[in-house]
Amino acid sequence: MKQLNDILEGIGSTLLLLARAARYVGTLPRQFGRFVEQCYVIGYTTMPIVAVLSFFIGSVLALESGYAAENLGPKQFIGLLVGLSMARELGPMMTAVLLAGRVGSAITAELASMKVYQEVDALETMNIPPARILVLPRLAAILVMMPVLGIVADLVGWFGGAIIAKYTHFISIEPEAYFATMRQFMDFGDVGNGLFKGEIFGFVVVLVCCNIGLSTRGGPREIGASVTKAVVTSLILILVLDFIVSKALMK
Amino acid sequence: MNNSQQTARVGLFFLLGLALIWVTFETLSGGKVFKDKGYQLVAGFESLQSLKEGDEIRMAGVKIGEVAKTRLADSGRRAEAVLRIDSNIHIKNDATATIVMSGLIGTNFISIDLGTPAAPALPPGAEIHTEPTPDLGAVMKQLGSIGKKLETALGSIGDAVNGDGKNPGLFKKIDTLVTDNSDKISTTMTNLQQVTDKLNKGEGTLGRLINDPRMHDELLASVGEIKAAATDAKSFIANAQAIIDQVKAGKGTLGALVFDEKIGNDIRTTTKNLRDISDKIARGEGTLGKLINDDSILRDAQAVMKKASSALDGLDDSGPITAVGLVAKSLF
Repeated sequence: MKQLNDILEGIGSTLLLLARAARYVGTLPRQFGRFVEQCYVIGYTTMPIVAVLSFFIGSVLALESGYAAENLGPKQFIGLLVGLSMARELGPMMTAVLLAGRVGSAITAELASMKVYQEVDALETMNIPPARILVLPRLAAILVMMPVLGIVADLVGWFGGAIIAKYTHFISIEPEAYFATMRQFMDFGDVGNGLFKGEIFGFVVVLVCCNIGLSTRGGPREIGASVTKAVVTSLILILVLDFIVSKALMK
Repeated sequence: MNNSQQTARVGLFFLLGLALIWVTFETLSGGKVFKDKGYQLVAGFESLQSLKEGDEIRMAGVKIGEVAKTRLADSGRRAEAVLRIDSNIHIKNDATATIVMSGLIGTNFISIDLGTPAAPALPPGAEIHTEPTPDLGAVMKQLGSIGKKLETALGSIGDAVNGDGKNPGLFKKIDTLVTDNSDKISTTMTNLQQVTDKLNKGEGTLGRLINDPRMHDELLASVGEIKAAATDAKSFIANAQAIIDQVKAGKGTLGALVFDEKIGNDIRTTTKNLRDISDKIARGEGTLGKLINDDSILRDAQAVMKKASSALDGLDDSGPITAVGLVAKSLF
């Protein structure tokens, strides 16, 4: 019963935080500095790890599908398989997972520390709502940076697959053929679909992490607990939302 | 790290991301924000086989659209595919659509031929001509039955040639025939050889006929004679014709006989008189009639003859003296 109550309280406080942050959208131009700083942290510093992860995800997709197709035959469709999986599913999802681990945990830790060491209280005393200067720039930054991260993930994943497809002895597909099937059967709609999903995942991850950070009560030990909780909640939400959004986006 | 450098990096990063998105978009969708709505055509088929929505439509191998919808039409009597064609493609109204299988794993597309250049283009919503494509299953089935028939036919030919258990085969029969008659055949062959040799050398009638040029000349001469005879015959026939014409005209004796009525009447009168005379004779009238019909004369004559005979007999017996007496006696 207490768990259910916690879940409902979490959902409610998250939505309230979103509503409060949305009230200050007009103040965003005045916080451009903070927005850029968050963009730097969320986008720029996350890009290398997203690229590395996507490269290996694309490679392993090509490798495994090539291994499976070796006896089946349609090896020329590996490009399509890697392209579609990366664009529609793995690109946005793995980026969001990385974001939850790298950015979400950092946000929660920072906000929880501020909450625990009463900096948030101090801001409120000065009539500066934390939703305005702590949450809003981060939400705006993730909305701007997530498509960039998503497209980087897609492209690096595709190229990783292409390299593996060419240099693995039992696949040996030229990059031309690999990309030809992709271009023949794919549409920008598939990529756009993935970017839209990534946008939703990123936004939800940042919002949930901010809320959990700001809801922390107690001492330093609770900071760690909050970070754990934020990452776990983010991962669960990413996978649940992935299913729901994918289903909704299908015709 | 100072603030402006950070801002620049974020800006660069964002622009890079936008550029990547744009490149991907250009590559995959050809820079069109919305899909070309194009126009629709309807293609009716007996069976769409494994054609499904989204399959390509190709004209001469170039993709020009895709299958927008598949449905049953005519209350389920045929299948229809609604084709979405790019708006810049005009399909001639005598073009034909066929379902083509591009792979064994069931990827189909509709192929539309170019049609004739002069034909008018199909308007949107029109129905395109279709040609049924035999699906692989049906083809395989047909091939199987053909194979079976072929096998039976070849088997019976084999039996005829090689023989089954009961009857010797064709080759065997020929073999027996040739073996049994080899002497006769070789004799025949020798004879034939001799005959043809003779023919070649111009011996015998046939040989001369073939080899002697004189024969040819004679033949030509005969033909000339036959020709002359034919000319004579022609003039003869012409004369006969002239005579017949004269007869027809009633000229000459024959003409009078055939065509003069007076003579006909004379003949009739004569015939009648003849008949009268013969009638009288039959009835016994007149001398001739009596002579023929009255047998009393005959009897009289017989009696006289009898008497004479006996008188002569008496003459034989009694010699000349009594003969007189006897004659006298018999006479009186």
